[in-house]
This record gives sequence, C-alpha cells and structure tokens, in this order.
Amino acid sequence: MKESKSIKTFISVALIVLIWGIVAEMGVVSSYILPSPNKVIESFVKMVKSGEIFEDIYISYIRVLKGFLISTLAAFALAMMRVVFCKASGYYEGIVQFLKNVPPLSLISLLILWFGIGETTKIGIIVLTAFFPIYLNTVKGFTSCDKKLLEVGEIYGYSKVGSFFKIRLPYAMSDILVGMRIGLGYSWRAIISAEMIAASAGLGHMILFAQQMSRTDKVIVGILVIGVVGYITDRLFALVIDKTLKGSEKNGWD
Amino acid sequence: MDGIKLVNVGKYYTVKREQVKVLEDINLDLPANKITVILGRSGCGKTTLLRLVAGLETFEQGEIQATHVKRKAYVFQEDRLMPWLTVRKNITFGLKDKEIDHEKISGIIQMVGLEQFEAAYPVQLSGGMKQRASIARAFAYNPDFIMMDEPFSALDYFTREQMQKELLKIHHKTKCSILFVTHSIDEALILGDKIVILEKGIIKSEYEIEKDHERDLLSDKFVALKKQIMDDLKVV
Ligand SMILES: Nc1ncnc2c1ncn2[C@@H]1O[C@H](COP(=O)(O)OP(=O)(O)OP(=O)(O)O)[C@@H](O)[C@H]1O
Ligand SMILES: [Mg+2]
Repeated sequence: MKESKSIKTFISVALIVLIWGIVAEMGVVSSYILPSPNKVIESFVKMVKSGEIFEDIYISYIRVLKGFLISTLAAFALAMMRVVFCKASGYYEGIVQFLKNVPPLSLISLLILWFGIGETTKIGIIVLTAFFPIYLNTVKGFTSCDKKLLEVGEIYGYSKVGSFFKIRLPYAMSDILVGMRIGLGYSWRAIISAEMIAASAGLGHMILFAQQMSRTDKVIVGILVIGVVGYITDRLFALVIDKTLKGSEKNGWD
Repeated sequence: MDGIKLVNVGKYYTVKREQVKVLEDINLDLPANKITVILGRSGCGKTTLLRLVAGLETFEQGEIQATHVKRKAYVFQEDRLMPWLTVRKNITFGLKDKEIDHEKISGIIQMVGLEQFEAAYPVQLSGGMKQRASIARAFAYNPDFIMMDEPFSALDYFTREQMQKELLKIHHKTKCSILFVTHSIDEALILGDKIVILEKGIIKSEYEIEKDHERDLLSDKFVALKKQIMDDLKVV
C-alpha cells in the first residue's frame, strides 16, 4: 500500500519535471520567466554548498517554533479557563471570535508600528495565526467530552480534578493534537508572508530578495524548500500523534 | 446491616415540554448481601431505576436511603470503556495505584477470559469482550454494592452461563449486595434472591426465593414461578 503510494507520487513528480524541462528547452518563454530545472538544481546546490539556504531555513524555523510554543500555551490556558470557569469565557469569547475573522497579516502594519521590524513582529504574526486552530480545537475537545465516560468517573469516586486528568484530558487529546497540527501548518505559511513584508533574513526574505535581483531560479528553489520543509514537519507531527493516541480510532486528519 | 430503601420514588422526564412519567410510586427494599433482580420489558424504566439508585440522576419525588453504601460499582448497559486505555488499565480504572493487587487483577482478567487481550485497546475487542471487560472493572473495585444493567446481554449461551456462575461465586465470597437488571426470566430465576417485576414504571409484583444451593429450573416449583412471572409480564 505505502510503497505503491510513494511510487505514484514519484511518477507524477517526474512527469511534472519532465514537462517543465521540455517547455523550458523549447524556448517559448524566456528563461527569466521560467528557468530550466537544471538551472534551479544548480542554484540549489550552490546555496547548499554556501550554507545560506540552511541559515534561512533555520531562522524561519526558529521563529515558527517560538511563536507556535507561545500560542499553544496561550490557547491551552484560555481553553482551560473556559472549561474550569464557564462564566469567565463570556469576557473574551466575543473578542476571540472577532479576532478569528481578522487575517493576522492585516495586523502587520500595526505590529510594525508598535514593535518595529524586529523578531517580536514576526513571532506576533505566528502567534495570531496558530492560536485560533489550537484554541478552538482544544475547547471542542474539552467540551465535547462524552458524558457517559464522565459518569464512569463519578461512579468510581473521581474528584473533579481527578476526572479532568483521567477522563477529560485524554479524551480531548486527539482534538488538541489535531489543532496543534493545523496551527503548525498555518504558522509555517504565515512566517513566509511575514518575512516578505518585514525581515532581513529567513526564507520569505530570501524569495523576495531573489525576485528583486531577477533570480527566478532562486525563487523556485525557495518555494520548493518551503513546501518540502512544511511537508516533513507535518509528517513528523502526524507520527507523534500516532504514537500518542494508541487506542483511539480518530488520529487527526490526513 | 440493612439494605437500600426506596420510598415513594417518582421520576419524570420532560420531553417537548410535556412531563412523561417514567417511574411512579416505587417502594422497594434492596436487602443487604442479597441479589435483587429487576425484570421487565424494554423501555419500562429499569435503567432509570438503576441510575436513581446510583445517584446519577435527580428525581422529583420520594426518597432513597442508601447512606451506608461505601463502595458502589455500576456495570452500564453499554461497556463505557476508556478508548485510550488498555484492557488491564480499564479494569483497574476504579482503583488508586497503591490499591491495585496485581495478582487479584490477573485472576479477574482470567475469570472473564481476557488474559490474551490484557494489552489490547477496546477498539480491538468484540462487543461481548468489551462487556466482559466492563464487568471485570466493577469486580476489581471491591464493591459492597454492585449495580448491573443487562451485563450479559451480548454474550452467547455458554459464556453467559459461565459468567452467571462466576457472579454467584463472587457474591458468595464477598457477600456484596447486587442489583441486577435483565429481561431474561431464566437469568432472574438463576440469580435472584428477590425478583421484582417492573412494568411501565410501576412495580407489578415481587417474589422472594429462599436460598438453596443448586437451583433446578425444571423443578415444579420453578416452572410454576416462571409461568406466573410470564403472566405478570404479559401486557393487558
Ligand atoms: N434522558 C431521557 N430523556 C427523556 N426520556 C428518557 C430519558 N431516558 C429515558 N427516558 C425514557 O424513560 C423510559 C425508560 O427508559 P429506560 O432506559 O429506563 O428503559 P429500560 O427499561 O432500561 O429499557 P431497556 O431494557 O431497553 O434498556 C423510556 O420510555 C425512555 O424513553
Ligand atoms: Mg436499559
């Protein structure tokens, strides 16, 4: 099963590269608009050798991890608040729903105004992006807890705290992890956009800079690297989910 | 020690703003150290009665006296196992870590025939196996009062017979009180010290069977009793 899937993927990728190569070779479009695959691979190798590509990946990645960590903690804390003090959520639920509908990137002008174009702005964008999927899924996990299982805890003398840790939390775990997975994916996309607007390093900045230098080959390298790194991150996270949710049928989405 | 007493208990559900009477004027003694069986058709209120006694449900009328019950266990009509725990962890769910007597737990697991599936998760079990795991969870708790809601309904004839024997064995050893719901008349006759017939939320009749070690359901006495219970259960 798995093998045939990767073979299929390989075939379709090879086909795309082939067509791309033929079109580039025919010379119908200028190599500035569509550089040949060879050219792209060449500049990729060059960027690997000089190490600049790893530097950009590293910078972008660290930003994502920082922002992701902060938003996970914040989302979890607020979701817990909402579960423990049902009434407290009234104070921030409306604001959360409002912010949910505001694209984080639209706030970047304000963020730059307040924090400059330093790290704070970029991490702020990631926090704003990753927070909502994590928060909403965590709340869903906690509030959708099967009442029938909670009754089992009631019968066997579990306290509120005990039943939180032994029933509610494990029950919510799959939703929380799915929310984190979505949040991580969103963050990775958001950082690239943020770096294209306000940064002096990172993959997004690299792409924008290459465009200004008319290096379309480098732009394509950047796009491919972003896709591959995002894909690997997502796979790794799916692996973690699989390991964590052994008995559960629902282990995230694919 | 006296048992549990229900005095004039009534329970209503509100469905579409209309009050639906589920239980009415229930006066019932559940004698200590005895097996009381509730027998009745589907939808007559057996589960509701159990939930009231367990304290899972509020009720509008009457009183339930059960203050001396210390450790109660409940085998739900559905298995209600925690999907993220292995069979063994599910069975010890009611116990604190330091209370777990591993040898005894292994014994219980063997008794319900799940020793090969200790490390399996509930999704990997069949319906009857899940039911047995949930019965084992109740036994492992060392209860002095067990409520069981059609616990053997998903089991085949032979497994069912064996589980009934094990239940009687545990009952004789621990002297726990049992409140047992079934719709099988034979099962009621095999297990019950007291049989209560419930019909449409009202107790229709009660029978007490004195203890004798081997019950022969084909003896005249039991055949007559069975006939009478069947008459009681017939809708008018
Ligand atoms: N939460 C509820 N809300 C409204 N009505 C309910 C609720 N729970 C039970 N009932 C009603 O109470 C009546 C008795 O239900 P109960 O579950 O006690 O039946 P039962 O004797 O256990 O049936 P079975 O043998 O099929 O399990 C039914 O008519 C049912 O519709
Ligand atoms: Mg029922």
